[in-house]
Parts: sequence; structure tokens; C-alpha cells
Amino acid sequence: MPGALREKLSAAVGPANVLTGIELSPYVVEGRTPDAAVFPGSIDEVAAVVGLAANEGVPVTPWGGGAAASVGMPAARAGLVLGLRRMSRLLEHEPADLTATVEAGMTMGAFQAALGGRGQWMSLDPADADRATVGGVLATNAFGPRRHLYGAARDLLIGVTVVTADGAVVRGGGKVVKNVAGYDLPKLFVGSYGTLGVIVEATVKLRPLPDHEQLQAVRFERLKDTGVAVKAIMGSDLIPSAIELLDAAAASSAGLAADTPAGGAVLVVGFDGPREQVAWQCAELARILVPLGGQQTRTLEAEAWSRLAAAPGTARPATAAVMTFSVVPSLVAETMDRGAGIARARGLHSAWAAHAGVGAVRAVLASDAAPHEPAAIATVLGEWREMARAGGGHATLAWAPLAVKSRIPVWDDPGAAGRIMQRIKSQLDPGNILNPGRFIAGI
Amino acid sequence: MATLTDSRKRELRRELETIVGPDAVLSDPDELLVYESDGLTLFRALADFVVFPTSTEHVSAVVKLANRERLPFVARGAGTGLSGGCLPAEGGVVISLMRMNRVLEVDYDNQLAVVEPGLVNLHLSWKVGPRGYYYAPDPSSQQACTIGGNIANNSGGPHTLKYGVTTNHVLGLQVVMPDGEIVWLGGRTRDAQGYDLAGVFVGSEGTFGIATKIVVRILKKPQAVKTVLAVFDQIDRASAAVSAVIARGLVPAAMEMIDHLTIQAVEDAFNCGYPRDADAALLIELDGLAVGMEGQLERIVEACRDAGARETRTAKSESERQLLWKGRKSAFGAYGRVSPAYMVMDGVIPRTKLPYVLSRVNEIVAAHGLRVGNVFHAGDGNLHPNILYDPRKPGEEERVVAAGAEIMKVCAEVGGSISGEHGIGLEKSDFMPFIFSAADLTLMQRLKNAFNPTGLCNPGKIFPTKKSCVEVGPVAYRPHAIEEKGLAQRF
Amino acid sequence: MSTPTHTSAPAPAGVLNLHGLSVDGVNQCVHCGLCLAYCPTFSELGTEMDSPRGRIFTIKSLAEGRMSLTDSVAQHLSLCLDCRACETVCPAGVPYGRLIEAAKVEIERQQPGALPRRLFRWLNFGLLLGHPRLLRLAAAGARLYQTSGLQQLVRRSGLVKLLPGTLPAWEALLPSVPSKAERTPPPRTTLADGPRRARVAMLTGCIQAVVFGAHNRATARVLARNGCDVLVPEGQRCCGALNAHGGDHARALAMARQTIDAFEAVAADFVIVNVSGCGAHMKAYGHLLADDPAYAERAKRFAATVRDLAEFLAQEPLRGPLQPVTMTCTYHDPCHVVHGQKIKSEPRRLLAQIPGLRLVELPESDWCCGSAGIYNLTQPEMATRLLHRKVGHVLETSAEAVVTANPGCILQIQAGLGAHQSPVRVLHLVEILDRAYGGGE
Repeated sequence: MPGALREKLSAAVGPANVLTGIELSPYVVEGRTPDAAVFPGSIDEVAAVVGLAANEGVPVTPWGGGAAASVGMPAARAGLVLGLRRMSRLLEHEPADLTATVEAGMTMGAFQAALGGRGQWMSLDPADADRATVGGVLATNAFGPRRHLYGAARDLLIGVTVVTADGAVVRGGGKVVKNVAGYDLPKLFVGSYGTLGVIVEATVKLRPLPDHEQLQAVRFERLKDTGVAVKAIMGSDLIPSAIELLDAAAASSAGLAADTPAGGAVLVVGFDGPREQVAWQCAELARILVPLGGQQTRTLEAEAWSRLAAAPGTARPATAAVMTFSVVPSLVAETMDRGAGIARARGLHSAWAAHAGVGAVRAVLASDAAPHEPAAIATVLGEWREMARAGGGHATLAWAPLAVKSRIPVWDDPGAAGRIMQRIKSQLDPGNILNPGRFIAGI
Repeated sequence: MATLTDSRKRELRRELETIVGPDAVLSDPDELLVYESDGLTLFRALADFVVFPTSTEHVSAVVKLANRERLPFVARGAGTGLSGGCLPAEGGVVISLMRMNRVLEVDYDNQLAVVEPGLVNLHLSWKVGPRGYYYAPDPSSQQACTIGGNIANNSGGPHTLKYGVTTNHVLGLQVVMPDGEIVWLGGRTRDAQGYDLAGVFVGSEGTFGIATKIVVRILKKPQAVKTVLAVFDQIDRASAAVSAVIARGLVPAAMEMIDHLTIQAVEDAFNCGYPRDADAALLIELDGLAVGMEGQLERIVEACRDAGARETRTAKSESERQLLWKGRKSAFGAYGRVSPAYMVMDGVIPRTKLPYVLSRVNEIVAAHGLRVGNVFHAGDGNLHPNILYDPRKPGEEERVVAAGAEIMKVCAEVGGSISGEHGIGLEKSDFMPFIFSAADLTLMQRLKNAFNPTGLCNPGKIFPTKKSCVEVGPVAYRPHAIEEKGLAQRF
Repeated sequence: MSTPTHTSAPAPAGVLNLHGLSVDGVNQCVHCGLCLAYCPTFSELGTEMDSPRGRIFTIKSLAEGRMSLTDSVAQHLSLCLDCRACETVCPAGVPYGRLIEAAKVEIERQQPGALPRRLFRWLNFGLLLGHPRLLRLAAAGARLYQTSGLQQLVRRSGLVKLLPGTLPAWEALLPSVPSKAERTPPPRTTLADGPRRARVAMLTGCIQAVVFGAHNRATARVLARNGCDVLVPEGQRCCGALNAHGGDHARALAMARQTIDAFEAVAADFVIVNVSGCGAHMKAYGHLLADDPAYAERAKRFAATVRDLAEFLAQEPLRGPLQPVTMTCTYHDPCHVVHGQKIKSEPRRLLAQIPGLRLVELPESDWCCGSAGIYNLTQPEMATRLLHRKVGHVLETSAEAVVTANPGCILQIQAGLGAHQSPVRVLHLVEILDRAYGGGE
């Protein structure tokens, strides 16, 4: 990095907020070290940093808590990490309006704690809440079990402030819960992985905290049977807040049911609301599931929610890859069952978990061999992806060593829509400085 | 745009006929005149042709022809829109989707349906109703408006409060792009890959292309529904009740306000059961599990009483409930009973600002010597002041437009928006700077360039006409904050 | 090129009229479009000109001089069924039926058409409908045509295709005209059975009397069983509804006056009508004759006594004893009952009282079957499309019979079911009631 740029950055954000050299170790991704990490303290400073980088053609990687830093291809060129940790204030919370405006660098955990103090929450529960920031969660479209009832980031974000690649500060949406004025920019930025702009502030819809919440875990002898069970729940009068499906490996590592037989599964269903409604639903759930093979229904402690959000992320110590799938809900159990079979056939272990009602499946692949054989890993991942595509879904390689990523694309082929995405990218970031090469379709 | 000569028009008509068939092209002036407006008659514009495709391929071929001829084109559904969004503002071709109105598939296991854009919103709920499902977005015009039109405007409705607007229910779209290419945005799964193009397309007011197949979610009908009418002698108390309900941690499925004048109109129309002497009424609906609903209902009734409701009554039968909703949903049309024309505004404000803004609305309209009826989604803070006027009286339209602009300004000033569900269209394009900066609009224009680089697809909408800052092309140089501070310079 | 404008709408102040008939009601239309999906022609075609909102706009534009009555404009207006489904859903209360009738008068005035059309209209509107005897004579001729084998010959030989204009459609729909005995009118007076509830006068109708004489006799019996003295006024002719719907304004006025004269003579409490179009039209006499000083008041009084048969009977529970009528049936709402008179629950409530009868709902029961007066003759193509839609729904229900309350609907749906070789029968509501009372002849 030219020394002149470093000086300008120091001038823009203060020398203490520009890290270089050994201090950069937390920001090394896939062995690649950025030129500098810069921590602006205001929107104007973010704009200044991006503007400087744009002038120099230096890539910028927006960085919240680093929870998803290894998703996607690492930047082709070294550049700046733009950290948002100094921008972590809750700016506005008007309970009677059920909205809040927050700086992007606030962690989800801190945000929820502040809202919870006034009886409300942002109904999004991704893993790693103490590390993941609001901006990061939005940019990566992260979610958790309660997406089933409450939707994803796209359903909650009503206003967004971003710094675009030319250093302009742009606001999209607004502070009201319903708004169709102009294009829906919040949708554009949710899940865009920092390739179109740096999210610096967000206004989100809130909900009142439920009076009561309960998680019911039901064991099944065979994973295959759970497809019918999930369908029965979804077709019933129940209004679950979450429908989680874990195979035996994932259930055991999440500490939910160590005794689940191989080939079996645990279905975890969450309910919230007034106590009498939760009680009625738990009873109704048992009534529905027992004839379908559900066994040993038990109530989980509240702490299990966060383990469900992370499952099966820690299923095996020797994780070789993590893949996420989006499939139609009716294919979730089959995807898990067949996917595990594909891995077994190649002599690899896998563990599977899903937010079953929304068709979001996650799998970890592991091998006993050390070091892993990247070719074999990539082969299984390729077959998994084909399986998802055949059912009208798609798969993303959420994490893998570079040796694997170089053999199988991180992102699936978006087809003709990819050209539109490329056009959007070139309109909004013509110099290609925001997370270049990290995202889909070469973006 | 150059005017087409008669002979050129005849040639193009023949070409269009070869695409869509001879009984699917209109070019007769009398027939075109009938298409001069949508639900907002304040704006009028004539097309050169109206065509009625019956397939995606038809739409694509028509769009390609329009591109070749440099003719603007615009998609139209039922024409119930309230912002002039489907008007052929610059002539050209209107592509009516009313003959593409099939439900192509219903997948109950995955709770989704694939429909064509000309399908009437309510007809989807009729189709899936017997199996216990419904389509949640319920704009008041749902008995006539189409799902394609809902996509364009990201339509809401009373039950938005709990269930969200159109975009929250759309999974994917097959789109004829402005250059005629056929592309799928999103699909049948909850998450698409890459940018959320379906999310960006919904609400783009027909400027990003024409949706020809739409994958929407269908929801299970709730086990139980309770509808309460809370009656108030002062509209401010009704506003306070809205906040009181929210403050108690309750989120009803819908919370609608109807003012005195509107009550008169809907009672004249259908005798729905709203008390004529009330200053305002709140129509509040709860849905969900039967167990525990009584308790929630009591808390809502209590909140209304505490806020000063004169009485509350619960609909005792489904027919009584339907009648209350019929009154609410027919309110705009019912203004025909009390006025030959009206202009409906569509502002959104933070719920807590309701009392202030309502009183400002009344002051503004009165200052212009006009009358206003208010019927709106109070729970969302989505106002619909309906300014009544007589277009035959000289000067009234101008006063309506002026009052409307002032109301929009007030909504913007309190941190709100200039449209909650009707769209910007032609009507409010010049109000966009009330809430968006030049930089905001520039980014939107760039996004439009990515989809619609020629601008032929529904031109003249959304962006303000008065300023050049939104013209297609590279963005003008503006100094950065740091340059202004002298921290950096451009070379 | 035209651009959006903020200029004043091109509407003159003051009352709008077409050929002296007020169409000021167009100003009640606020263009909301809530009517669109309920209009059968718009649903079929998707074209705004063929929707209620589009037609109101057209009528308004004609009155304002923004449009002239070209062939295409006339065709779009003529394609209206006048079913008035739009009125039922219109929140603004646009008097659509009145507007479209005024428009049709204007069309007749400006475009009387060629000689065969004018002859057809004169024959029907001027001669047959106005003169019961001639109508009966024509019926005898039609019966001769049907029973002599001539009809079969014409149909088989393909000669039917040579008939001019819309006559082939006419021919196909020509009802099988019953014998003279079956055409016998009900007695002049039928006395109430049991405690007397009211003194009523019956409209026997023009075509109804010829084609469905049995319905009239059954009506008299059912009314008598429900405590009515039933009178059949002498000198009654056609009520003029078909003329009014067909744009024959002058003769419609004359027929209305004649009908009022005939019924005033018997001084009944109520005038009972078992034909939907007639009932709806007679209820509107007050408006029709509002400008006639000699009749304005009388017409209003008369109109207030008019009741549809089901509307009248459903006010009280049916008097017993009722015998079972074991069948599954479905009910088709005639437009001029459900939309013209807003009578929807009454016939269903009556049917529900009949033991053994199972009623299943007909999808789109309140959609026009395409009969619509003489619409199936003047607009055979659209009428056929709508009939197709109706018959499709009927067959979906698995009912054994379609019950309705209007001769036009009966003939139309019968023809449609016949084309499908369906065994489903089409019955007038009064036939079912009569059967429950052990009636029949």
C-alpha cells in the first residue's frame, strides 16, 4: 500500500484506527493478509475511507465481527479491511413504532439486549450473536431457527444507509414499516456480501418479545420418516416459530439427543406466545407426531436455541467443508438422507441440520484422513450440489479450504440472472473495489 | 418520441397481430381512449396500441418489436392502480396482461402457487381456499386488482400489519426483461442465489421488465379470527388507541381506521354496520389459534376502552365480519356517493405521529377549501387521506394537487414516506426529493440502468422530471467530504 | 402524442344526457374498477371497453362529445349483457342498468341498421310482444314447425346455416313450444287455501305465458297454498322489459302504462312476478315514467307493490304440509333477480324448507348464463362462451337439477346441457315448490 494512502487514511480516521503489519493477524483470511485495517467512527469517515480507496483502486472488504469472513473466494487483490466495530450504537428505538435504527457495527447480541430491555426484539436469531454484527448479518443474509415464523433479514430491514463504491452516502427505504417509494434498496443490499456498498446503518422492524417460549424435541428412528412429520406439522393448525431437523450426528454434537440411533433424527419444534397457546401447541404436536413415529418427546432448555442456530457447525473436529442448501421444504429430509449416503459412499462423514420449514439445510463434511483429500471432498460437494439442483434448489459452499474451493465453485451457477447481477455490480461499483471476486458470477 | 404516421401504425398493427393474433390488438382511437387512465383519473395518456398477449413468448416478442421500433411500452393489469403507474406516459404500446390469468400450479406441500400476472388477487385465495389456504396480501381492491399489478407496486393491504406486503410473499418470477430476454429471478426456494433480484423487482413499478409467471407463498388459514369494531367520538382517541394496543405488546392481524365522512359513504353503499354518528372507528382483527384468543381480545378491548372508545363490539358471525370488511375495502369507491371524484394520498408516518399528522391533514385540506375522508391502515401508520373534489369545477384539480403535495411534505417531515403501497408512478415522481437525496436517486437510476438501459420500459415514472440529476449516464462529480475538509484531493 | 395532464377533465358542468335521457349517473363512477372481475364480458375478453368501468367511461365520453358512436363503440356497448352484476359490487352506487339502457336507445336512434334487422325488431318488439294473440298465433306456428318434422328437416339439411344473420342461433334456441292445452293460462281467480295472507295479482307474461304456461298455473297454486287470493288481471300484456333492454324506449313506455292500467283495475296488495327480467323492470317503472305527469305517481305506487315470487314467499315460512322432493339440486341466480332486485338468499331459504331436497352451491351462481333477454340472439358468440362456462360449473356440482327462476335462463341452460347430452334438468323454482305441495297436472 502506498505510504501516501496510509497517511490519508490516518488523517481521515485517526492513526489509532488504522492497523498495519502484525496487528492485521485477526484479519488474515485464507492466508491472505490485507494491506491495512481501517476503523472509521462515523458515516462520513466510512465515506472518506471508501473514497480514498476508490481513488487508488484499492479493494475494500467491509468487516463486522468477521463471523462470515471466510465465506466466498478471498479477495483477488489485497486491500483494506474496513472495520465497523467503532460504529456500534443503537441510534433510535421507539417502542410504540416497533422500529429501531442501529449502526452496522453493533453486535446482534448487544442490539437484542438493548431492545429486550424494553420488551422487544428484532426477530432474527443467527448463530454467533456475540460476534456477528447487524451489518454483517444483513450483508450475508444470516438467519436462525425462528426464520420459520418471522422471516429473514429481507423481511425485517426497512431502511438502510450505505456508503457506495464512489464514497457517496445513500439511503434506501426509510423508518416506516411500510414503504414503496423508489426502488427497494434494502432488498438489494441484504445478502450482497459487501459487493455493492458498505452498510453503515440499518432501520429494522421489531416485534414484542413473546410471553413464553418452548422447544420440544422428538426423536425418530429413521430420518426418512421425518419428511412426513414436517409436512404434517406445516399442514396443521400449529404456528411453530421453528422447525429444526437434525440427523443423529448433528443432534449428538449439539447435545440434543446423544442416544439417537445412526440413521435416525431429532425434530425440534419451537412455539411462542401466551402460555396457554404454547401448552396447547405442545400437546397438539405430540398428538400429530406420535402416530408418525415420533418418540420420547421432551422439552429442551432455552439455551438449546443457540445450539440449534449453530448446528451442525461443530459436528466434527475435522471439518473439511460446510455446504448450505436452499431447497423446497418437502425435499429437506430426503436431501439430508441422500446427502449423508453420498458422503458415506465416498468414505466420508457428514452431519446435517435444517430449518426444515423454510428449506434451509446445512451440512458439514469431514474425513478421518489427515490431511483431507481435497479431490474426494470436492467430488462429494459436487454431487451434493447436483442433488440440490435436481430438486430445483441450489447449494453454496459456505466454508472450505482454498484447495477445495479451487476445485468446486463456492457459488452455484445463477444462470441468466447472473448477467443482471453483473450489470448491477458494474453500475454500482464500476471500479470493482468492493470485495472484488468474492461473490457469485465472478462479482 | 416521434409520432407514428398512419401508414406506419397500420404496418405495426399487422406485425403485432402476427404475434398475438388479430383479436388481441387495439389501435382504434375510441378503444385507446378507454385506456387513458388507471384508478387515478387525474392523469391521462394515450397509447398507440394495446395488445393482449397470452404467453411469455408473446410478451417477449412484443417487447422485442418495441425495442426495434424504439417504442416505449408498459404493462397493465386491471388498471386499478392509484398513481398512474401503468399509463403510457410517452405513447407506445400498452401490454395488457388480462388474458394471462391462470393459476398454473398449486404445490400445497410447499405452500406455494405459480400464477400468471393477470390473475385477480382474490381469485387465488378462492382457488386454494377449499384446501384451507389463502394468499395473504389483501389490497382493498383485491376483488379486481391483479397479482402482476401487486408485484409492480409491492401492494399491501389491511393484513400487512401482521403478514407483510407482497414482497414478503413472492419467491420467484419469470420476467421478460426490457430487451425481451426471458429470465427467472428467484424460484421456488426461499433463498435465491446472489443478489435478491426478485426482491428488487417487486415494487419496481414495471420499470425493470414484465413478470409473466409468479411464484407466491400461500398460507394456511388461521384457526380462528376475531374482529372488533371500536367506536370513538374523537378521532384523536382512536389514534391513541392504536398506540395503546401496540404498547401492550399486541400485534393484531389488522388495525384499520375509518373516519366520520367515510363511514357515511360506506353506510350509504352497503349498510355495513358502522355507527354513523361516530367520529372514527377502528376495525381490529386478531387471528391465530383459538386457544387464548379471548384473552388477547380482552386486552385489545381494554386498550381501546382506556384510550377512550365509546363502545366496542365484536362481530358475532362470519357474515357480520365480512360486511365490516366489505365496507372498509369498498371505501374508496364509496366516495362516489359523496363526490364525483377524489384523489387518494398514500403517505406513511411513524405510528406515534398519527394524531399530529391527521390534524395537519385536516388543516391543509380545509385551507384549500376542500373536503377529506380518511380511511387507512392505522396499525402501519399508512395514511390514505382522500381529497374529494369535482373535476368540473374550474381550479379544483389544481387545489387538490397542491393540498396533496403539502400533505406529502408533512409525512416526509415527520420521518415518513410518500407512498406505502400505491407506488410513485406519475403522481408522486416530483415528490421523491422530499425523502431522497440526489445521491439516493442516482443510485436508483443506476439500478434502473442495469435492468432497463434504454429506458423504453415504462418511461416517465418514479423519477422526478424537474431535475437533471437522474438522467441516464455517468454521475456528475461531487467532492467527497474529505476533499472538502482538505484531507485529500483529486488529480 | 399525448402526455399526462393536470388540466380539467373535458366535462361540461350540468346534467349529462344522451338523446334526452339522463346519464348523469356516470359522474358517480370514480373509476375504482372494483366491478371489473364481476363482469362476464370483461372476464372473457379482458378488454376495458367491454367492462362496466369502460362502458361507463364510453357513455360519459359520448355524452361529452369526446367520442362518437362508431360501429366499434356501438358493438362494445351492445356486448353488455345488462346483467347488472357490476351494480351489486359498485360501492359508488352507479345506476349502471339505467345508463346502459340509455346508451342502447341512443344506438337504436343513430344506427337503426339494415332492413332485415329493423324488420326483426318490429316483428318482435312492435308486433308479437305487444299483442298476446299474435304471439299465441306465432307459437302455434312454431309448434307446427317443430311437430311437423319441418324443424328436423331444416336442421338436418343444413338449410339452417343459410338463415340470415343471427337467425341460426334463434332457430337453435327456439323452445319446444308446448301444446295448446299446456299453454292454458291460470284461472282468473284462485282463492286462498287456509287463513288469508294477502290478495295478489299475477303477471303471466308474454313469452312465459306461451312457453311456460305450466309455471304460471303452478305459481297460482303455490300462492294459494300460502294464503293468497290470486288474481290474473285481464288486459295485461308484455311489461316492456325486452323493449327497454333492446333500446326500444317509446314502446317500452307505452307497455308500462298499459301494464299499470291493467293491474290497477284489480287493486291487489302485491303484484307477483315469476320472471326475473319483468320483476326488475316493473320495480323500475317509477323511474321510467318519472317524466310522465299522468303516470309518474301511479308508477311509483305500482312499483312499490311488485314482488318477485321468491321474495314474497320467503317472508314467512312455507305453509305445510310439504311432501319430500328427493333430489340434489343447485341454484342459478337469474341476473335480474340477484343483481336487478338484490334477491339472493330468499330462493335458497325456500328450497331449504323442502324435505328431501339437498342444495349444493353452484360456483359463480350469480353469473349470467348468456341468455340475458334476447342477448343470445343478438350476441350468439359471447352468449355461447358464457353458457359454456355456466354448464361447466353445473356439471362440476353433480346436481340432478338446476333450479332457477327465469324462462330465459331455463331455455338457455337447457340448450347448453342438451348440447352436452347431460341428463341434468332445469326447473323453475315454482315447479319444485308445486311438487312439494303435491301439485302437478
